[in-house]
Amino acid sequence: MSFGGLHTDHRAIVAAAIIVFFVLTLVMAVLPALREQALSAPAGLTPRGSEAERGRQIFMREGCGFCHTQFVRDLPMDRPYGRPSRAGDYALEDPPMLGTQRTGPDLAAVGSRQPSETWHLIHLYDPRAVVPQSVMPAYRWYFVEKDQAGPGDVVVPVPAGSAPSGKVIVAGPDAKALVRYLLSLQQAKVSP
Amino acid sequence: MMTDSFAIRTRMRDPGLLAAPSVDPATVRVTFEYVAWATAWLLVGTTAGLTASIKLHWPEFLPYAWLSFGRVRPAHTNLVLFGWSSLALVGLALYVVSRTSRVPLWSPRLARIALWLWNLALLGGLVTLLAGVNRGPQEYREWVWPLAVVLAAAVVIDGYVAYRTVAARTLPEVYVSNWYILGGFCYLPILYVTSYLPFYQAGLGNTVVQGYYMHNAMGMWFTQLALGVSYYAIPRLLGRPVYSYALGVLGFWTNLLFYPLIGAHHFIFSPVPWWLQTTAILFSVGMMVPVWAGTGNLLLTFKGGSGAVRRSYALPFLVTGLIGYGLSSTQGTIEAFRSANIYWHFTNFTVGHSHAAMYGFIAFIAWGAVYGLVPRLTGREPNPLVVGVHFWLALVGVLTYVISISVAGVLQGFAWVAGQSFIVSVIEAEPMWLWRTIGGLLMVGSHVIFAANVWAMWPQRVVAPAPDAARIPA
Repeated sequence: MSFGGLHTDHRAIVAAAIIVFFVLTLVMAVLPALREQALSAPAGLTPRGSEAERGRQIFMREGCGFCHTQFVRDLPMDRPYGRPSRAGDYALEDPPMLGTQRTGPDLAAVGSRQPSETWHLIHLYDPRAVVPQSVMPAYRWYFVEKDQAGPGDVVVPVPAGSAPSGKVIVAGPDAKALVRYLLSLQQAKVSP
Repeated sequence: MMTDSFAIRTRMRDPGLLAAPSVDPATVRVTFEYVAWATAWLLVGTTAGLTASIKLHWPEFLPYAWLSFGRVRPAHTNLVLFGWSSLALVGLALYVVSRTSRVPLWSPRLARIALWLWNLALLGGLVTLLAGVNRGPQEYREWVWPLAVVLAAAVVIDGYVAYRTVAARTLPEVYVSNWYILGGFCYLPILYVTSYLPFYQAGLGNTVVQGYYMHNAMGMWFTQLALGVSYYAIPRLLGRPVYSYALGVLGFWTNLLFYPLIGAHHFIFSPVPWWLQTTAILFSVGMMVPVWAGTGNLLLTFKGGSGAVRRSYALPFLVTGLIGYGLSSTQGTIEAFRSANIYWHFTNFTVGHSHAAMYGFIAFIAWGAVYGLVPRLTGREPNPLVVGVHFWLALVGVLTYVISISVAGVLQGFAWVAGQSFIVSVIEAEPMWLWRTIGGLLMVGSHVIFAANVWAMWPQRVVAPAPDAARIPA
C-alpha cells in the first residue's frame, strides 16, 4: 500500500490534516450553525425583562443546566414537560441551554408547569422541604435569616425544621431574580 | 544507585535500554515536568469529581456556594480533560516526537513556557468556575474567553515545538506516532477557536457548535495523542515492530474523515437539523473502522508477547487502555442509534460512557506510557508492587464506577419510558450513586499512589551524571 510521498513529508501531512479538518469543520459546524442562527423567533417569543435576565445569569453561575435540560423531544416520555422544542424557541437564548443530562426534570416550560413563586422560593432554599427525595443543592446563600421581617421583605414560608427556629427566611435579590427567570421559562404558542 | 540501575535493566529485559543514545537532559526535564503537573491536576480534578459524586447521595455534604454541585462538576471535567489528560499526553508526545525523530526536542524552553501557560489557564479556570464565573453549561468550553486564549496559545506553542522537532528528524520517514501527534496539534486549535468565535452561535447555532466541539475534543485531540504515544510505547516496551504500519495510517485517515461528522449525535431528537443527526448516526457506525483498526493493530503487536506483559508493570496499563478504547468506542456507536438513544439519552449512561473512554482508555494509556517511558528518562523507577496496587485500585475502581453509573442510567431510562413521575428515576438511581462514589474513592486512592510513584521516578536533583550515563556500567 502506498501513500504517495506523504509518509516522508511532514509538511504534506500537516497541510492535509489542517485542510481536511478545516473543511469538515465548516461543513459540519459553522455552515449549519449559520443556518440555524438565521431562523427567526416564533411570534409569541419576547425578550426577558432585566430581572429575569439577571436570574438567567444566576442560573448559569450555579451550573443548573448540568442537571436540568431545556429541550423537549417528540417522545411520549417528554410530554409532561411541554410541546416538542423547535429551533425558533432558542432564537433569543445566548447560550441556549438544551443540556445533555436530566438528573432533575426538564425546565423548558417550568414557568407554566409550576407557576408559584412561593413554591420556587421554598424549593431553592430547601429542595427537600417540598420534594423529600430530591438531591438538588440547597441555595441558602441567596436567602437571609432574620429575627423578624422588615418592610418590603419577601418572607419564604419554609416548613418548621427547614430553618433555624425563631428565624424568618427572607428571599435575597438573587433568589427573587432566579425565580423570575424560572417563571419566564414558558413555551411560545405555535401553530401546529 | 548502581543496584537501582541494574534492577531497571533486568526487570525490563530491554536490550534497547543500553543501546539507546542518551536522551538530552533538557528533553527529560520538560517531559517530566509535564507529567508531574498532570499528576497534580489529576489529584485536584478527581477530588472535585469525588465531591460532586458524594453530593448526589448526600446533598447536604459541603453546602457552600463555591463547592456546590453545579460549580464543582465543570471544575472536575475541565481539570481532568485539560489538566491531567492533556498535560500527561502532551508531555509524553513531546518525548515521542523527539525519540522517533532521533533528535533532541526543538526548544524545550518554549515547551516549558507552554507548560506554564497551561498551568495559568488551569488555575484560572479552577478559580473562576468555583466562583461561578463561566459561559453557562456549555460543556468543556465553560471558561471565560481570556483563559481560552491562554490555553489555545499553549497548544499552538506545543504543536510548533513538536512540528519543528519532526521537521529536524534524521530519518526520511515520519513515524506513524507523529502523524497522530501532529494531527492532534493541528485539530485542537481549529476546534477550540471554532467553539469560542461568536459569529455563528446565536440561538440554536450554538448547539450545533456544542455538539461538534465536545465530541471532537475527544476524538481529534485525546484519541490522537493517546494513539500517537501508544504507537511508540507499545512496540518500544515489547521490543518488536508494530503489527501493521499501514493499518496505523488507515486509522489516521478514517478517523480524520469520519470523526468530525458525528458530533450531532449528542442532540438526537433535537431541533438540530435532521440530516445532521442522521449523518452523525451513520458515521458513528463508520467509526468502527478506525477504532478497530487501531485497537486490533496495537493488540496484535502483543501477539506472542504475553510473557513481556506479565514481566512489565507498564504493559498491563497499555493493554487495558487499548481494550478500553475498543469497548468504549463501540458503546458510543450503539448509543448513537435512535432506538437506543430513547432509553439512554439524558441518563447517567452517558456519564458511564465518558468515564469508560476518558479513564478506561485515555488515563490507562497515559499511565502505561508514564510507567514504561519515564524510568528510562530519569533512571529511577517506582516499586513494581506499588505500581500493581495502582493498577488494581484504578481498574476495580473504574469498573465499579462505570457499571454502577450505567445501571443507574438504565434504571432512569426505563422509569422515564414507563411514564413514571420524575422523582422515581432519582429514587431508583440513588443506591447506584453510592456505588459510584465507592468506585470513585478507589480511583482517587489509585491516583494518590500514582503520585507517590511519580515522586519515586523524580529525576536526580544532581546535575551530573546524566541519567543514561549513570546506567551504563563502566
